[in-house]
Amino acid sequence: MSNTQPAPVASEHVELKARKVSFDWEETPLHWVPGDPFTTHTINVLHLLLPAGERWFVHVYKQALPYITDDRLREDVIGFIGQEAIHSQAHDDVLPHLRKLGLDPTPYTAQVDWFFEKLLGDRTLPPGRPRRWWLMERVALIAAIEHYTAFLGDWVLNADALDRVGADPTMLDLLRWHGAEEVEHRAVAFELFMHLDGGYRRRARTWALAFSALVFLWQRGIRFFMENDPSLLDPKASFADFVRKGRQGVLPSTPAMLRSIPRYLSRAYHPSQEGDTAQAMAYLASSPGANGGR
Amino acid sequence: MPRFTTVALVAGAALLVRRAVRSRMSTAPLWPMPALDTPVSGYGRGSTVPRKVLVAGRATPAEGVVELRLEGAGLPAWQPGAHVDLVLPSGLVRQYSLCGDPDDGDAYTVATRLIEDGRGGSREVHEQLHEGVEIEIRGPRNRFPLVDSPAYVFVAGGIGITPVLPMLRAAEAAGADWRLVYCGRSRATMPYLEEITRLGGDDRVTVVAEDESGFPELEFLGRLPADTAVYCCGPDGLMDAVGAAMPEGRAPRLERFTAAATVGGTAFEVELRRSGRTLTVAADQSLLSAVREELPGITYSCRQGFCGTCRQRVLEGEVDHRDELLTDDERADSMLICVSRCSGKRLVLDL
Repeated sequence: MSNTQPAPVASEHVELKARKVSFDWEETPLHWVPGDPFTTHTINVLHLLLPAGERWFVHVYKQALPYITDDRLREDVIGFIGQEAIHSQAHDDVLPHLRKLGLDPTPYTAQVDWFFEKLLGDRTLPPGRPRRWWLMERVALIAAIEHYTAFLGDWVLNADALDRVGADPTMLDLLRWHGAEEVEHRAVAFELFMHLDGGYRRRARTWALAFSALVFLWQRGIRFFMENDPSLLDPKASFADFVRKGRQGVLPSTPAMLRSIPRYLSRAYHPSQEGDTAQAMAYLASSPGANGGR
Repeated sequence: MPRFTTVALVAGAALLVRRAVRSRMSTAPLWPMPALDTPVSGYGRGSTVPRKVLVAGRATPAEGVVELRLEGAGLPAWQPGAHVDLVLPSGLVRQYSLCGDPDDGDAYTVATRLIEDGRGGSREVHEQLHEGVEIEIRGPRNRFPLVDSPAYVFVAGGIGITPVLPMLRAAEAAGADWRLVYCGRSRATMPYLEEITRLGGDDRVTVVAEDESGFPELEFLGRLPADTAVYCCGPDGLMDAVGAAMPEGRAPRLERFTAAATVGGTAFEVELRRSGRTLTVAADQSLLSAVREELPGITYSCRQGFCGTCRQRVLEGEVDHRDELLTDDERADSMLICVSRCSGKRLVLDL
């Protein structure tokens, strides 16, 4: 049955390497989507989750590396690790700027740090099966999360509405550089999971976990930012706002997000079937931040 | 109908939980997650953000020397001996010692001499860095730190006085016994002479201008007590002479700015202590590639010294740091093995 096996699209594979980046936040205002704090803060949640989250990806993948028996996949994972390390640093470097603008993210990020370093960190398990089980569980979680980072990366590369509303160019460049690298390496986490384990039940279970955790952390992050934003008198955030902004195109559309769920859960899913590597590479070639800040 | 009852019960319970959680969260919005005691995120190295400074003052403290006052917001603190990288308008990167006041949190001061037949950096500083120009800097870093000592001897040649000047101020403030031998071609070309003589007087400061008194007498270095720290910065010839004048088995602390080596080097030995193996890193080989032959599972990624994946703990040996990422504190006991090497003969890694 040909449609139940993940089928990679060979032409979408490229050699991965970390890029050195530089982003100057000096001119970026607090509401970098002008006049739209809800959209600003919804996207800002990325800066809360990614520094700790992507550091954790690197931490887990360093442990997974010795188990890889496919040389090409090992090269891909090595490139992936470097890209994730730089993503984490780049988002981390936005946080001091937010603090300077009067929105200290530390109460929230300290919890995210706990989430990834303690709750999802290394545990004192007996060597052998239990330890490998916990590693595989985390590798599968990363594959599920990467499904969403690739989805968001593809979205932001095509989110012309953000240009139209005059979003801050530096922030857009950070998001699109990151999004493009997520699209570029979107198959790695899934291929690693399939190589090391590949069990469908684990894939479905960890998807449910990752999806719930993302929804929980994200809505909480939006409310945290809205409530602590020094310039907002009436900090309200609702799911209806999210749907409305999705329709305007400044946030991902809710129906599109819902449609991506069955795709990941399909047995024939392979990340290379969605997203456009050529578009990502074209953006990376012209991104000011990824080309020495010019 | 039992099914209806179950559904109603579950829905009722869910509603109650929702109300309880909502009321709890309205008083404490970040309930119920624990937090890490020492937060990590948001306190990184800032390695992806360029640090811009404005040339706010330009002076000529001696013939052929310009002094720049570089103002910026949130400049990191530094200690005497530190230097910054200036990214010049053409893209050239040059290192200059900080010679201002470490307590001045709003500005750094550097001074450079125009070198007519140099590699172009000093000419660019002299011709293009006027007041109002904005440039990027990196650092500060310190490879020439002032150690605690009851006594110091400083030997500076010409513009080599720049890292030494804050050291003199610090030594004087600490009440240490210090001496300075300050050499130069002529008094007119030697910056900060007046401040230095005011600071130390004739008994601490010996000025040796080549056009008056030739070359400095350095024999006294051979008779120094063991607890005197010797610092030297200046032309290669002077640093070699100071090294030669030191007693057997002692070396001066030197600051040498050369074109940053990024490839190649000399061969050295590395011991992987936990694996109990020792290997040789060839001159044309990176430490990472040598280690990979022994430990194929070792992690790395960018191979250019900026992603930090290959960072390893150093147990013994002098490291020639060539990365762009680690802070001075991190460099004290770790290195990025993809680009950094050993500046001596042997390294011991915790691997």
